[in-house]
Amino acid sequence: MTRPLLEIEGLSKSFGGVAAVDRVSLALEPGRIYGLIGPNGSGKTTLFHCVTGVERRDAGRVRFNGERIDGLEPHAIARRGIGRTFQIIRVFPELTALENLLVVTRGSLAGAEARARELLRFVKLDGLVHEYAGNLSYGQQRLVEFVRVLMRDPSLILLDEPAAGVNRTLLNDLLEAVRRLRDDGKTILLVEHDMKVVMGLCETVFVLDHGEKIAEGPPGVIQADERVIEAYFGR
Amino acid sequence: MNVVITPAMLGQVVVSGILAGALYAMVALGLALIFGVMRVINIAHGPLLMLGAYTTFFLYQALGLNPYHSVPITMLVLFALGALLQRTLVFRVVDAPELSSLLLTFGISIALVNLAQLAFTSNLRAIEYATGSYTLGPLAFSKSRLIAFAVAAALTGLAFLFLQRTRLGKAIRATSQSREVAMVCGVDVRRIHLITFGVAAALAGAGGALVSVIVAIQPEMGQIWTFKSFLVIVLGGAGNYPGALLGGVLLGLVEQIASLFLTTQLSEAVAYILLVVILLVRPTGLLGGRQT
Repeated sequence: MTRPLLEIEGLSKSFGGVAAVDRVSLALEPGRIYGLIGPNGSGKTTLFHCVTGVERRDAGRVRFNGERIDGLEPHAIARRGIGRTFQIIRVFPELTALENLLVVTRGSLAGAEARARELLRFVKLDGLVHEYAGNLSYGQQRLVEFVRVLMRDPSLILLDEPAAGVNRTLLNDLLEAVRRLRDDGKTILLVEHDMKVVMGLCETVFVLDHGEKIAEGPPGVIQADERVIEAYFGR
Repeated sequence: MNVVITPAMLGQVVVSGILAGALYAMVALGLALIFGVMRVINIAHGPLLMLGAYTTFFLYQALGLNPYHSVPITMLVLFALGALLQRTLVFRVVDAPELSSLLLTFGISIALVNLAQLAFTSNLRAIEYATGSYTLGPLAFSKSRLIAFAVAAALTGLAFLFLQRTRLGKAIRATSQSREVAMVCGVDVRRIHLITFGVAAALAGAGGALVSVIVAIQPEMGQIWTFKSFLVIVLGGAGNYPGALLGGVLLGLVEQIASLFLTTQLSEAVAYILLVVILLVRPTGLLGGRQT
């Protein structure tokens, strides 16, 4: 068995006595696409925050490539190879599309600019490189955010509702891009409410409810799981 | 009033206003940077300018250094001091409610002024350099103010180039637009804060070096600059860096034009009145504030 790329063990985080994430353990193997689902408020985004260091976990361990990363600063975690997008799009509105990508890079600026232009072409935004990100359409901003994650060539990519508010054509491009990344050996964990997207894309799905992991398995099995149905539709 | 205002007088105040405005803009850009990136209003900004003036003065007195040549040295000294303040004190209040950061920087301001009184005494000091004026037709340009204008305009231009063109500058702008995202994208936000405070203090220091040749140097000279810088960024729109330029020049013009019509004591009040009016009429500033 391959060593997991990301290993979460007993992760807990509560806010004012309410457990947002409750002793969650999961492991991601390299080169696969995982889904993270659950009703609103089940702790999906908090889990992302804890893995990326935006929130400090209360308990538990997070290992990335075998190394403990819980307790590290967010930028240090990002530099180790974890990239993420946000549920509500977070581009830098007063930077151009190109600058949005450049700001996250280190090393040679010329090299970074060439890569940034290539990535913007990859998502068909090459005509808008010098446009302020705040002036782009919602879907275009999602794409900028998405390729900004790719600038650092992360081995693990966390996507928080990539399909929300994106039109069908753009969505298909995005999903295609995600599959290609997987084929390149990247690991992807995505939070998504659109079940068609989750079921069509993910190889393994984790289900959270009230901060606890209640199920894990291939999409087909998850869909038939009674606890999952109960979590979504009530008893 | 029976004052006759000739076109030459008007021309003179416009010129003086623009000359003063560039200096205001440069110093205010420092305050705007700290506010934009950290949401901290640095009350100690003016006292940092005061320390810049003293640095220049002592370099002049002890080493006979031309005050304009010492601008880069003064800026380096103030950069280091600013970074030190950030590293030891200000970082603690970056995430705190505004009141905490106001109190802290107010405290730093008082401490700096009193330390300066202790160390340098309250004696007025002056640098006799670049005295006199150039004349051009009916207009007169004070040499020291003209040089201050040129240096301030150049430094402000450089600061903007730095913000626009360099990756560090882009990272500073990105951090001011969204700190959380910058972190998750791998930007070391604490380092950015350190550099931002350093750059802001260096800009205040440069302002101090330039005014040290124009006005008397004393420990209390700085506070008025905190206020004027604050007014400038309110005028231009807080968090809007180009707005600081417009605000600076506007403040310079308003002050000078007011001095034509009003007594000295009253014209001092004009800046305050302007602040109140702007906050009432257009609280987001003339160019609008940050969009996010």
